[in-house]
Order: sequence, then C-alpha cells, then structure tokens
Amino acid sequence: MSRPRADWTIVAIVVIALALSLAAAFIPGWIRYVSQNALAAALASIGVMILLRAGLLSFGQGLFYFLGAYAVALLNKHFAVTDAAVTVMIGAVCAGAVASVLGFFIASYRGIFFSMLTLAISMVVYGIATKLSFFGGSDGLNIGTLSFFGYRPRGAELQIMSFRFCIWTSALCGVGAHIFLRSRLGKVLEAIEDNEIRLEYLGRSVRDTIHIAYAAAGVLAGIGGALAGQAARHVDPSFAYWTTAGDFIFVVLLSGQASVLSPFAGSFTLEVLRTFASALFPNEWQLALGATMLAIVLFLPSGLGHLVVLIVRAFKRRAEAREVIEQ
Amino acid sequence: MSTFVTILIDAVSYAAWLFLTSIGLTLVFGVLRLLNIAHGSFYSVGAYMAAYAIGLCVAAGLGTAWQFSLAAIAAVTAGAVLGLVIERSVLGRLYRHPEALILIATYAAFLVLEDATKLIWGGQSLYANQPRDALGQMQLGALQYPIYDIALIVVAIALAATIGFVLNATRIGHCVTAVVFDREMSAAMGINVVRIMTGTFVVGAALGAFAGAITAPKIAISPGIGVEVIVIAFAVVVIGGLGSITGAVVGAVIVGFARALTAHLFPEIEMFAVYAAMAGVLAIRPYGLFARPEARKI
Repeated sequence: MSRPRADWTIVAIVVIALALSLAAAFIPGWIRYVSQNALAAALASIGVMILLRAGLLSFGQGLFYFLGAYAVALLNKHFAVTDAAVTVMIGAVCAGAVASVLGFFIASYRGIFFSMLTLAISMVVYGIATKLSFFGGSDGLNIGTLSFFGYRPRGAELQIMSFRFCIWTSALCGVGAHIFLRSRLGKVLEAIEDNEIRLEYLGRSVRDTIHIAYAAAGVLAGIGGALAGQAARHVDPSFAYWTTAGDFIFVVLLSGQASVLSPFAGSFTLEVLRTFASALFPNEWQLALGATMLAIVLFLPSGLGHLVVLIVRAFKRRAEAREVIEQ
Repeated sequence: MSTFVTILIDAVSYAAWLFLTSIGLTLVFGVLRLLNIAHGSFYSVGAYMAAYAIGLCVAAGLGTAWQFSLAAIAAVTAGAVLGLVIERSVLGRLYRHPEALILIATYAAFLVLEDATKLIWGGQSLYANQPRDALGQMQLGALQYPIYDIALIVVAIALAATIGFVLNATRIGHCVTAVVFDREMSAAMGINVVRIMTGTFVVGAALGAFAGAITAPKIAISPGIGVEVIVIAFAVVVIGGLGSITGAVVGAVIVGFARALTAHLFPEIEMFAVYAAMAGVLAIRPYGLFARPEARKI
C-alpha cells in the first residue's frame, strides 16, 4: 500500500477559501457580489462538466438552478425560513429529487437527444414559471434578509457573512465534486464517452451511471441556484431560461474540463466580462458571447485551460532539448 | 359540431405551420447528422426580411402578389446566403468533432444572429399583416376563417410534395438519400458528399427562412421568436424521428391536433400539450416513430 498523497486540488480549494474569507472585509462590495454570482454559476458549470465527461451536453441545467433559487425564495416567503444553510440544503434536495425522477427518462438518451430533451424540459418550466403567480410571474420573488445558524447580521456584516457562506458552500461542493470525479464512478463516466458497449461488457450499467451523474449535476446546479438567489436576494424565471444553461456551457467551454478548478476560473472570467460588457456595450453581449464561443470551438476546442497545458508542454520540450544539447 | 370543425381546421392549419418550420431542421439532421439550433435564427431572419420586403412593397403601392413573391424571395435568399456562410466558415470545419461541440457551435451561431437581427431591425415589434388582411376571410359553415391560414395548408402540402419528388425522383435526390444512409459508401460510389452536405444545409436554412417569411404576416415580429420555434420544431421532428421527412409530416399532424384539441377544450393545459404528446410518443418509441434502427458500433 502506498502512502496517501496530498491532493493538491483539495488543498488549493481550501487555501483559496480560507484566504478569501479572511480577506472578505477588505474586498469591495461589488467584487464580492460578482464573486458570489461567479461561484454560484461555477457550481452549476461543474455539473455540466461532469456530464460532459460522459460526452453528454446538458442544455437544461438552468432548470435545477431555478429550482434551487426558488426553493430559497419560497421557503423565505411562505415559511419564513431565513437560515442560509437550511435553505441551500432544501434547494439541493429539491433539485436532486427532480433530477433523480427526470433521470429515469433522460438517462437512456445520448447526444443530441439528451441535449434537446433537457432543453425542452427547462423551457417548459420557464413557461410555467412566467405564468404562475405562485412563482411571482415574470417578475420573480424577493428574498428577505438571511440568517446564519441563528446569527442575524445586518448591513455590511450581512453581506460579508453571505459572502463567506457562499465561499465555504462552494468550496465544500468543489471538494465533493473533485472526490466524485476522482472516484471509480468518475472514471466510468470518462469511459462512457470512449465506448459504452465495452463498458457494459465489463459489467457496468451505463444507464445507472448516467442517472447518478445527472442527479449529482442537478444537486450542484440546485446549490448554485440557491447561492445565486441569496446573493441577489431576488429570483426570477430567467434562471430556467436556456441562455442560463448556455452560460454554464460557455464556462466549461472556456475553461476546459481538466479539473474542478477550471469551471471556477471560467466562471469568474465570464462574470467579469459580463460586468464590463454590460457597461460598455449592453446590446451586443450575446453577439460577443457567441463570437467568443465560435472562436473557441474553431481554434481551441479543448478550452482556454488547454493553453496552459500547451505552454507547460512547450517549456518541458525546450528543457528536454537543452538537456540533449548539453549532453 | 361547429367546435369540431373549428378544432379540425385549427389543427390542420397549425400542423401545416409546424411542418413548414420543422422540415428544414429534419432535412439537415438527416444528411449532416447535426441538430441546427441556428435554425431558429434563420426563421427569425426570414420573418424580418419578409416584413421589410412587405413594408417596401406597401410603401411603393405594389399589390398582394408582389408582396408575397418579394417577401419569399428576400427571405429565401437571406436564409440561403446565411446558411452557406455558416456551413462553409464554421460547421464544415467541425464534422470530425464530437456532436456536443457542433451543437455548441450552432448555439453560438444562434446567439450571434439573434443579436445581429436586434441590431439591424431594433428591439421593437414589427408588423407585416397587410397581405393576410388583403386576402380576407372565408365562410366555412358557421365559421369565419382567414384565407391566408387555409392557403398555408396548401403551401405546406405543395412543399411536402416537392421535397418528396426531389428526393425520390431526381438524381440529386437519390444522391442525398444515399448520403443519409451511408456517407462513406456514397463517397466511394463517386458522390461528392461535401457538396451534398453544403447544399442540404443551404436548402435547410432557406426553408427555415421561408417558414419565417410565411409566418411573418400572422405574428408580431420581435426578438426571441426564434427560440420558441427551435424548441417546438425539435418536438415535432423528434416525435416523427429525427431525419425523417414522413416523420416530420406525422409529427406536425400529431402536435397540431394535440394543440388544437387542448386549446379549445382545456385551454389551461394548452402549452403542455406539445410536450405531453412528445413524452407520450417517446415513452413508446424512444427515438421517434419513423427513426431508422441504428446499429451500436463496438
């Protein structure tokens, strides 16, 4: 038996989370807000990445984002539940439950069918949410002030606590997703993309594996949605709209699928771009987004994260060449 | 009795519209094996071009016949040019890539075109209802019905017949069918597969734009009409089986009837009817009614 090695991804997540929560009071409010949105979207994007490891592109993660966010808002409105952790957990359970049920139907589809059926389901929910007054119609719902395990901060302290809560929840989910991807099940997902028939010969149920991955992705998106709702203190049906899911896909496309850290980086990039773009050219945002996506797909299909890999490889090659010359 | 007639006519007219919007999508899927999300933007570009052309004709005092033909020509030309540009510059380079990446590319193209139409024609709604009003109403039993909506049925049938004829009775059609069945074997037989694929994509795009043009007089043309179309057209073609022309016809009829029945009898659940029909069919035949069985490759 070899000694268990330190997992640098987990170490990195914990160190970054610690650093950010200690520095929380010194970070300007707008950066905290952008970061919270980025973290929330990153969790949903990790879900997209998990499914994409199996070659499945979900256009419907917005549905679970919506469910998580609305769980927070509805609990707040109807049951006066204000505890951040409780609402996030219930949001995750709701999203996970819906994903598990839908999974029975969805898990037998691959490729375009998987993408378009997930898209259709989330668009139906979007349609319902804009019509029903229970969901606040197209205006959405507001969320009251949050409490954290009985602690009820006000004003600036509330924002800082909310930021810290968001960071640690995301870190926990990031570590969880990392362990999931590292596990045997995570490796089976990659094998599904390679060749699912061989996998079935080896005795793995492809269908069950996809079902579990779909449910896991749903839970992650649910938590992400709950965090997004808590950050903005407002939820609206656009969470379930397909462009929300498109943003998560963009994040994974931008950052590549090398590690759970990639979607976090990609999501921050997207949020920062969006913040500046909405100030500079508010009407051409989709155009810029689409053009960037096209450029990545055409010239760098493994994502910008792949650039790092290429650079490292080039350096290694140069070092090797130097060794050869010196010999 | 009159409710029944109304439902019947509504259903058939709606089915005709569904067929027109989804035929391009299923044709492109059949030949290129890709689902083109940008089909929705070809539809909206077609609608905008038609509205623009009709607006010009009305301003110039030209008659209804001119309005129709110029609208159709403008839309089809715009759709074909866009299709050619997208296929040559983007999709043509991606055929060896995974399906997911191609789907992302068509989604990206959709986003770009969506904002481009908004930039060109503005965010407010356009109306081009003059030709539909000019045709007037017709008496069907106790019922007043716009002639335009009846004419839509004729157009859809004519289009289905034309496509059926081209595919089954011409040389090019046979080549297209061969490519659908086996791309490599067709190439080995001397068919220029790349040209057939480009050509099909251009035709598919033109058909999408044509559907937009023919819908333009019926609706308020505004940003976002393309999204609904892509989702509902997918539902139609998936019921019939992706890539099947007969399937598109049958899917359009099923969805048309489901929608018309619920719209008149249970209006609360109208918006679910389409998806309920889709879920029902997929529960029995997971890949649609007319989908070819596909061998799993090891």
